[in-house]
Amino acid sequence: MKKDKKTIGLGQNLSVEGANLWYGDFQALKNINIEIPAKQVTAFIGPSGCGKSTFLKCFNRMNDLVEGCKINGKFLMGDVDIYGKIDVNELRKNVGMVFQKPNPFPMTIYDNIAFGPRTFGITSRAKLDEIVEKSLRQAAMWDELKDRLRKSALGLSGGQQQRLCIARSLAANPQILLMDEPTSALDPISTGKIEELMEELKRDLTVVIVTHNMQQAVRIADKTAFFLLGELIEYGDTDDIFTSPTKEQTERYITGRFG
Amino acid sequence: MNTKLKEKIGKIFFGTSAVICIIAVVAIFVFMLIKSIPALNKIGFFQFVTGEVWAPDRLDKLDAPTLAGSYGIFKMIVSTLAATVGALLVGGSLGYFTAVFIAFYCPKKLKKIFSSVINLLAGIPSVVYGFFGIVFLLPLLAKIAPNNGSGLLATSLILGIMIMPTIVSLSVTSFDAVPRNFYEGALAIGATHTQAVFGVMTRAARSGVTASLVLGIGRALGETMAVVMVAGNSVAYPQSLFNSFRVMTANIVMEMGYAGEVQQGALVATGVILLFFVMLVNVVFSIISKKAVSKISSQQSKKSEKKTKTSVANSKMRKIAATLQDARQRVRYLLNTPNIGKVASIGAGVLSAVALVLVIGFILVKGTPFLIQNPHLLIGKYQFDSEQVTILPSIVTTLMTVFLSLIIAIPIGIGTAIFLNEYAPKKSWLVKVIKGAIDILNGVPSIVYGLFGMITFVALIKGTGSILAGSLTVSIMLLPTIVRSTQESLKSVEGGLREGSFALGAGKLRTIFSVVLPSAMPGIVSAIILSMGRVISESAPFIYTMGSVISAMPNSYLDSNATLAVALYRLSGEGWYVNEAYATAVVLIIVVLVLNLFAELIAGRLNRRLKGEKR
Repeated sequence: MKKDKKTIGLGQNLSVEGANLWYGDFQALKNINIEIPAKQVTAFIGPSGCGKSTFLKCFNRMNDLVEGCKINGKFLMGDVDIYGKIDVNELRKNVGMVFQKPNPFPMTIYDNIAFGPRTFGITSRAKLDEIVEKSLRQAAMWDELKDRLRKSALGLSGGQQQRLCIARSLAANPQILLMDEPTSALDPISTGKIEELMEELKRDLTVVIVTHNMQQAVRIADKTAFFLLGELIEYGDTDDIFTSPTKEQTERYITGRFG
Repeated sequence: MNTKLKEKIGKIFFGTSAVICIIAVVAIFVFMLIKSIPALNKIGFFQFVTGEVWAPDRLDKLDAPTLAGSYGIFKMIVSTLAATVGALLVGGSLGYFTAVFIAFYCPKKLKKIFSSVINLLAGIPSVVYGFFGIVFLLPLLAKIAPNNGSGLLATSLILGIMIMPTIVSLSVTSFDAVPRNFYEGALAIGATHTQAVFGVMTRAARSGVTASLVLGIGRALGETMAVVMVAGNSVAYPQSLFNSFRVMTANIVMEMGYAGEVQQGALVATGVILLFFVMLVNVVFSIISKKAVSKISSQQSKKSEKKTKTSVANSKMRKIAATLQDARQRVRYLLNTPNIGKVASIGAGVLSAVALVLVIGFILVKGTPFLIQNPHLLIGKYQFDSEQVTILPSIVTTLMTVFLSLIIAIPIGIGTAIFLNEYAPKKSWLVKVIKGAIDILNGVPSIVYGLFGMITFVALIKGTGSILAGSLTVSIMLLPTIVRSTQESLKSVEGGLREGSFALGAGKLRTIFSVVLPSAMPGIVSAIILSMGRVISESAPFIYTMGSVISAMPNSYLDSNATLAVALYRLSGEGWYVNEAYATAVVLIIVVLVLNLFAELIAGRLNRRLKGEKR
C-alpha cells in the first residue's frame, strides 16, 4: 500500500487564525480565530447566512469547488497547514463530511460504504467486507442492514440514508467528522439516533457540527461557537454559552429574539 | 497508474473531445467554401443566386474561358421557401392543436401513450415518409390533380406530417411549464376549461410555441429525401399546388453523382446557401428559446421566493391580476364565439393519430405479406445476375455503419458533455464556443453532411464511397444529439452526489466515472439508442459517401454499399420493385419502432433501478 506512507500525521484538533473568505466580492467570513479541541463535539450555531456552513467547508476544502471563492488565513489540523502543500484528496479522506441532505450514491449499500476505501486502493474482498461491517457497526446500522447490503441505497428511508452517509464517511477512517446540519431533513426519531451516534463517535473522532437547532447544540455539543454575519461572536463551553453568554448578540439569539 | 496522471489524461481527453466538435464545425464551413468559391467566382455570385436558368453543362471546367451551361438557383430558392411555408401551414397548425390536445384535453392516462406515439412518428425515416407519399398520397392526389399528384401540395403534406412531432413535443413541454396558478386564477374568475386554456395558458407559453415552430421550419428547410420523392424535381416555380418543382436539397442529391467540375462547385454552393438559411433560422430559434427559458425560469423563481419575500409575492399577484384582467376580456370575447379551439384541438389530436396509423398501417399491411412469402429478400444470397432482390447485404451494411459511427461518436460526444458540465468554468468563452459549435452542428441539414463527407472523407480515403467514409460522416452528425442529451442528464445529477464523493477524498475522474455517469446513465443510454435509430433512418448523408447501389455482401469497411434506408430509396425509385420496397419499408419501420420502444424501456428500467425500486 503505497498510499500509507503519504498519510499525513494529522492531529485531531483544528486551529484557525485570521481566516477570511470571499465569494467574488462578497466577504462571507471575517477574521475568524478558533481552537477546536480533539475528540469533542463542537457546534456552530447562528442564523441563516451567517457563514457557519461556509466555515465548516474550509476544513475539508470543499470551498475549492466554488468558482470565485478566495480564502486566506491559517488553518491548521494538528500542526499541518490544510491549505499548504498537501494532497486535497488525502485531506478529505482524513476529514469526513456529512451533508444536510442525505446523498447516498445510486449504488448498493455495500458499494456506497466501500466507495471511500476503494478510492484509496483497497480491492481485497475480505478487507472491504471487514471495513463495511465495522463502519456499519460504528454507525449502529449493522443489524438493520446486514441482510440487504446488495440492495440499492436509495431504497432506504431518509433517516437510514443519512446514517448510511455517516457510515460511508467512517469507512474512510477519518480523524475528524464535519456535519452540516445533518438532521435538518429528518424526523425526531432519526434525529435522536444520530445524536446518540455522535456521543459514540467522539470517543474516536473530533466532531464539528453545524446546527440550526439550539436544543440540539445543548444536547450534544461540548463547545459551541456563535456566528453572525460572517463573524465569530462568541465561542466557549456549551454550558457557558447557553447559561451565561458574555455578548449581547449571543443572548438575543439563544433567547430567540432574532434569527 | 498514478492518480494525478490519470486525472490529467482524463481532462485532456475530455478537452480534446470538445475541441473536435469545434474543429468539425470549422471544417464543414471551410471545406464547403473552398469547394464552392472557385465555381461561384466563375459563375458570379449574383448570377448564381438570382439566375433563373439552371442548365448545367458537365463539361464546364473552372479554367475554361467561358461557361457553356447556366447556373442560377433562384427558382430553387423560391421553391424551398414555398415548400417550407406549406409544411409550416400543415405541420404548424396540426402540431399546435395536437400539442394543446395532449397538454389540456387528453385524459391523463392517455397523455403518456399519446406523447410517446408522437415521438415514434419523429423516429420514422424520411425515406419511409417519401415512400408513403409515392405509394399512397400521390395516387390519391392524382384523382384531383392535372398531373400525377406531385408538387407543392404533396410536399407540404408530407413535410408537414414530418415536422409535426417536433412541434408537438416542444410545445407540450412549454405548455406544461406554465405555472398552474395561471390556470386556477382563470377558473376562479369564472372561465371554463377551454377559456382558461386558450385565454391564458397558450398565451403564457407563446414564446415556447414560437420556438417550436421555428425549429420545425429548420427541419423542413433541410429535409431532402422525402421531398425528392414527392416534389417532381423539375426546375420550375411552384406556380400551382400541382406542378413539379425542385428544392435546393433535391438539386444537390439529384445531380451530385454525375456533376462536372463547375457543376459540382455550384451544387456545393447550393449547400452553402441552404446552410445560410438554416443558420438564420437557428439564430432566430436560439433568441426565441432563450427568451422562453428566461421567462419560464423567472416565473418559477418568483414562485419559490414567494414564501420568503412578501414583496415579491405581491408583485407576482399583481402580475397574475393583470394577466387575469386581460384574460377576463378574452373570456368575454370567447364566450360569444363557439369553442373552435376545443374542436380544433380534439380534431387535430385525432388527425395526428390517424396520420400515424395511416403511414405505419398502410405500409405494414401492404408490405408484410410479401416479406413473409419471400424470405429470400431478407436472408437470400446476393446474385449479380438475379432478378431477385435481397436486402441482407444492406442490413449488414447498416449494422456495420451503426457500429462504427457509434464507436466514434459516443466517446467524443460524452467526453464533450463531461468537459462542458464538469470541467469548463461556467460562462467562460470556451463553453460558449463549444455550445455554439454544437448548436450549429445540430442545425446542419443532413444533405450538407453528405456533401461534406464527399469532399473530405471520400476524397481522402479511396476516391469512391465506402462504409468507412459514410460512418465517419454520420458520426459527426450524431455528435450534437449525444452531447446535448448527455449534458442534460449530467445537469440533472444532483450536486450533492458530487460533493459527497469529493468529501470522501475521491478525485474528479473517480467522481465522474463512479458516481456522476452511473446516475446519468438512463439519459445517456436512451440517447445512444436514439442515435442508432438516426443512423438507420438517414439516407441523404450516405448516398454520396457510401454509395447507393445494393451490392454484394460487404467484405470490409472500404466496400461501398447501400444502407437499408438508401436501399428503400433505390427500390422505390426504380419502379420495378415496388413489393420489395414495401417489404424494406416494413423492416425499417419495425427496426426503428423497436429501437424507440427499447430506448424508453431501458431508460425507464435504469431509472427505476437507480431509485432502488427494483434490483
